[in-house]
Amino acid sequence: MENTVVEKKQVSAARKAGRIALRTLIYIVLSAGAFVMVFTYLWMLLTSFKDDYEAIGLTLKLFPSKWIFDNYAKIWTVVPLLRGVLNTLIVEASVIIVGTFVSTLAAFSFAKLKLPFKNFWLLFLMSGMMVPYAALMMPQFRAFFALGMFDTLWPLILPGFFGNVSMLFFLVQYMKGISNSFFEAAKIDGAGYMRQFISVMLPMVKTAIAAQVIFWFIGIWNDYFAPAIYLKSYENMTLQPMMARINSDNSSGTNLPLIMAGAVLSSIPMLTIYIACQKYFIESLAISGVKG
Amino acid sequence: MHKKSRMTRKENLIAFLFILPPIVGFCIFTIGAMAFSFVYSFQDYNLFDGTSQWLGLKNYVDLFTHILYSKSFLNAIVNTLVMMLSIPLSMVLGLFLAGLLRMGNIKGSKVFQVLYYLPAVSSAVALNIVWRYIFNNEFGIINLALGVRIPWLSDDVLIKVAIIIKNALNGMGTAMILYLAGMFNVPRDYYEAADLDGASKFKQFFTITLPLITPMTFYLLITGLIGGFQSYADSQVFGAGVQGSQTIVYFIWERGIGQSRYGLASAASILLSAVIMIITLVQFKLSNKWVYEE
Repeated sequence: MENTVVEKKQVSAARKAGRIALRTLIYIVLSAGAFVMVFTYLWMLLTSFKDDYEAIGLTLKLFPSKWIFDNYAKIWTVVPLLRGVLNTLIVEASVIIVGTFVSTLAAFSFAKLKLPFKNFWLLFLMSGMMVPYAALMMPQFRAFFALGMFDTLWPLILPGFFGNVSMLFFLVQYMKGISNSFFEAAKIDGAGYMRQFISVMLPMVKTAIAAQVIFWFIGIWNDYFAPAIYLKSYENMTLQPMMARINSDNSSGTNLPLIMAGAVLSSIPMLTIYIACQKYFIESLAISGVKG
Repeated sequence: MHKKSRMTRKENLIAFLFILPPIVGFCIFTIGAMAFSFVYSFQDYNLFDGTSQWLGLKNYVDLFTHILYSKSFLNAIVNTLVMMLSIPLSMVLGLFLAGLLRMGNIKGSKVFQVLYYLPAVSSAVALNIVWRYIFNNEFGIINLALGVRIPWLSDDVLIKVAIIIKNALNGMGTAMILYLAGMFNVPRDYYEAADLDGASKFKQFFTITLPLITPMTFYLLITGLIGGFQSYADSQVFGAGVQGSQTIVYFIWERGIGQSRYGLASAASILLSAVIMIITLVQFKLSNKWVYEE
């Protein structure tokens, strides 16, 4: 009797030890993977503090032998980085302010108003999601070129004025979940449709809109393909093509720490937003997969 | 009655006005542009006098047979397809990581998710600049750490290997989060029932978990393919345009925007659109049939 109790205790102790070992192992593997994920940023940061020649040295050194901070001052003068930030923000602000209003208003109409052929129009807009940008780029390029908008921000701004389809669909789904009684009550009070949209719908969906705006902001911040096609002079460039240009101009590699300083600076706003709003990002990704 | 129908008509009109801007934008920037691409693909554009000449299917035939273009077009197709090997790789890695998180019932699960998803929200330019440095033939940290001189960036095959490694690592976080969400949706009692039947954890994974998370697998595969076919920054920033890294979209960009060969590039872009449309429609059709849904 006593023996079996001792045995049981031993077995459960062994099992517990095994479980702890397993969990430790899992933590180690996960942490190693996480380290790989942050390593790119870590390496960017460490390199930005290195001496030009140390960065391309043939001996492996993780940390700078002498910490140099000059690159963070120099980068602003070597390329008009501030101009790049400003240009990016001009695109961000104009596209997001106008585009969000347009998308939200259309979503309200799709979700709550009587509209003939509603499903047709929704599918019509949705069909655009399967057209690759590469198939639209040349006609758009020729048209914007003919309009004298080459090397200006207009080709990046104008299409955004007409809204964002993925934001639109998300908001249609979201707004459908809101009870019609709010709008009927507002109607009885004599509110027109625009009034219902602005004073009834908008306050109720503002967090959903905010989340979508954050995704859009990051998308525009990181956008590279279209800006790289349209923007040719440093003065008119947004951040991403500017970074790509500095990098490709530097074939010798001697300016690597400077480029890394630029990459760090251009990543800070995006990283800040991501860390501050991580919950939205992870949740919306998980949902997108569940819904298919 | 009459009044009501007038009110409905008014609502219809306003509702339509509200959705009009996205529709107008779509007609101009998508349908209109697409139609022009389609027309261009049958024409030859003369850069010097700006005239266009009708060529019929010649551009499409040229893509596969012309001595100047067919080689680089076929090369771009092969590169694009080979580079997509990162998709299954990132899915397997993501599934493994999600399994670890689920099995270990990890406390800092949220922290891990945030860290693993970081590359997905990062700028492709910034990431590619750093990865290019990491893979550098002479002073890259991979070669220095291994004490070798593997020509990652200049060899036509190795550069694709580098891109696959890079994209698999950068994409595994997305797969991990989606798979983890899928695993949490599997009802507990399925496992409890399997436990009673004496099924091993290993067997449970393959007979319960894996079939029940097929919606995620399917979603990852489709979004991966659609993104993979449109890859561009890998050629332009990571590969710096070397032949071994040129993708289909890079080919379209180089011929169309770079060399003003609008007709040829448009033909390639129409073929690309057709492939992406087929994938999307297949997804639409199959997503309800093949994939497990409760």
